Amino acid sequence: MTTRINPHRQAQVSADDLKREPATIKRIVLSKAQIAVEAHPAKWLRTLSKPKARLLVIAHSDRGAVDDHALQAIAAAAILADAETAVVALILGELNDNLINESLKQAGADEVLVLPSLDFQVFQPDIELSAILSMIESLKPSRIFMPDNLIGDGSLGRRLIANKQLTAATHVIEIDANHVASAQTGGSLLAISELPEVILLSPNTVESELPFTGKATRIEAPKIIIENSQNTVTYQDLGMQGSKAENIALEDADFIVSAGNGVQNLDTLANLANALSASIGASRVVTDGGRLPRSKQVGATGKTVTASTYMAIGISGAVQHLQGIKDCRHVIAINKDASAPIIKRADLSIIGDAEEVMQALIAEITKAKVGAP
Amino acid sequence: MTDSLKRIAVLVSAGKHPVSGQPRHCRNDSLALQMGLNLANDILVLHAGESENPALQDYLALGAPQINVIPTTDNIVNNLATQLTNTDLILSGTRAENGDDSGLLPYLLATKLNLALVADVVEIKAYENKIEILQFLPKGRRRRVTVCLPALVVVHPSAAVTLNFIHARQNLGSISTLSASNFDAKHSQSDLKQWHTCPARKPIKLAASRTLTGHERLMAAISSKAKGGAVVNEGNNVEKAQVILDYLREHQLIDF
Ligand SMILES: Cc1cc2nc3c(=O)[nH]c(=O)nc-3n(C[C@H](O)[C@H](O)[C@H](O)COP(=O)(O)OP(=O)(O)OC[C@H]3O[C@@H](n4cnc5c(N)ncnc54)[C@H](O)[C@@H]3O)c2cc1C
Ligand SMILES: Nc1ncnc2c1ncn2[C@@H]1O[C@H](COP(=O)(O)O)[C@@H](O)[C@H]1O
Repeated sequence: MTTRINPHRQAQVSADDLKREPATIKRIVLSKAQIAVEAHPAKWLRTLSKPKARLLVIAHSDRGAVDDHALQAIAAAAILADAETAVVALILGELNDNLINESLKQAGADEVLVLPSLDFQVFQPDIELSAILSMIESLKPSRIFMPDNLIGDGSLGRRLIANKQLTAATHVIEIDANHVASAQTGGSLLAISELPEVILLSPNTVESELPFTGKATRIEAPKIIIENSQNTVTYQDLGMQGSKAENIALEDADFIVSAGNGVQNLDTLANLANALSASIGASRVVTDGGRLPRSKQVGATGKTVTASTYMAIGISGAVQHLQGIKDCRHVIAINKDASAPIIKRADLSIIGDAEEVMQALIAEITKAKVGAP
Repeated sequence: MTDSLKRIAVLVSAGKHPVSGQPRHCRNDSLALQMGLNLANDILVLHAGESENPALQDYLALGAPQINVIPTTDNIVNNLATQLTNTDLILSGTRAENGDDSGLLPYLLATKLNLALVADVVEIKAYENKIEILQFLPKGRRRRVTVCLPALVVVHPSAAVTLNFIHARQNLGSISTLSASNFDAKHSQSDLKQWHTCPARKPIKLAASRTLTGHERLMAAISSKAKGGAVVNEGNNVEKAQVILDYLREHQLIDF
């Protein structure tokens, strides 16, 4: 369905529009306040005939979840593994079971080990290194995959490579069964090699949508003895600090509340952003109209954002806008038109008036914060 | 405050413009250089490569008083390590732009010299036997860590320092050549021998091969790819707001 959207048209909803409901959308019953689970098309389970080898994927979780970049590393291993090779995901940090195990299955993990004490927020590189070294010792993987990210995996991977003098490829932007490739000389050359022992993958090098699933069986992590002393002598973690939302570049923001043409009152949106400690974004119609600066524009001709949460308020969801939010994990739409294209993209859509829902949300947040300890 | 640091070294690589191939400073390394200069006047600036490389002139213009060049492109880690045994603090960039650009060199060096290492550093304060650093993390997060010296600090590209390019300083600064050591041929181990390069092109994404069965093809045809999540079009505004809050809580996106 490609509808050309005139940015200057008046937003209008006919009774017909409200009745027309795309077939893919499931309704939820409000009283239960539960989110409908998306049914996955039938996929086959990758079955292993007595694994003879293992591919190990190591990645930190973030707030209990495993991000897309880490899932891509798992999918890469799953695609490259043959029928006698198991894909083992070693997750550092807590794992929020119910939600996450499903995504690990979808990414093709056969077995999952979790070391909850190694949260990425705590700086403990020596402890992490000795933990993964002993896991590697006991699992004896034939290859190790890690996302080359900045929440700690890129750095931990390099410590591992240096410590064990393993063959390695970092910043890998292309991989298949026979080779890896990374950009060199500031991006003008592509350096190619055989698959090394450790592979640090750049984001979006792998299609994580697989035709099969893994079992993602949780296995008990072997007891590991961690030499704690050295780490605490060398490093003292003084804690995390979040920057104020308004100081964060939009591209780096984790929570964005974004205004479209359907937002009448930008002050309300600013209050909502403030209540959620979120950054403010906008559609092109809003920045073209000068209601917010150009730097806030999200989309093909604006910024590409990677926020965990993107609230699209009064935004129709034109393709040019959707391009800018393709890497956002949770998209929540507030729109009065149930047939707006954003509804198809959103994980949760609230059909209603932007101003009224925002006001109610601000009130609920204020209540919740008062109630919180 | 900073007199306590005995010796600071900065590692600079030779940069290259990705399109024109013109030699230039590597911005990452210049940030490390400036951070070093902010801590002390007298710093050791080290480069392994060719002393005639015009890229080095940029570092002089950026304030390096003197650059010590180890004339080698082999055994860089070993060669640098030999010059750095008495150093309290080593600063490096995150990634070079004229070699394998792997970002591995600082790790190999820190392992070799048995130094503490912190990466993605955007601020440094120096104290007597330790430094306090601010570390970059994605999504606007930062972390403060103190690190006992000796240590190696890898500077993040978003470090808040200003680079001052002053041409006249090229004449004030000097470039001197150290001697390269002869190490046995056992090469930097994490290098794969079989690397070869070709001109950059668009990388090909890895995807699972799909040999669809008839049944799968049928399934694909009838199940729409568009995902579409839950849609709430009933209830009053308070209930709708509550659904949003529940969703945010369930996915741990808010902490209240
Ligand atoms: C080359 C090109 C590049 C472009 N680049 C970008 C880009 O980078 N970024 C970008 O955003 N756009 C871009 N666009 C424009 C894009 O095609 C759309 O026109 C634009 O995104 C629409 O903005 P909107 O959704 O805010 O406005 P509209 O299309 O006007 O949609 C407003 C939405 O708000 C809803 N609404 C109205 N009133 C209310 C209310 N009271 N309560 C709740 N909902 C309400 C409506 O149902 C509608 O869905 C580009 C276009 C072109 C041709
Ligand atoms: N030849 C070199 N001489 C001095 N320092 C270097 C050299 N190559 C790399 N470095 C340093 O190591 C960092 C990471 O480089 P690399 O691991 O090659 O990506 C660079 O930002 C420099 O600070």
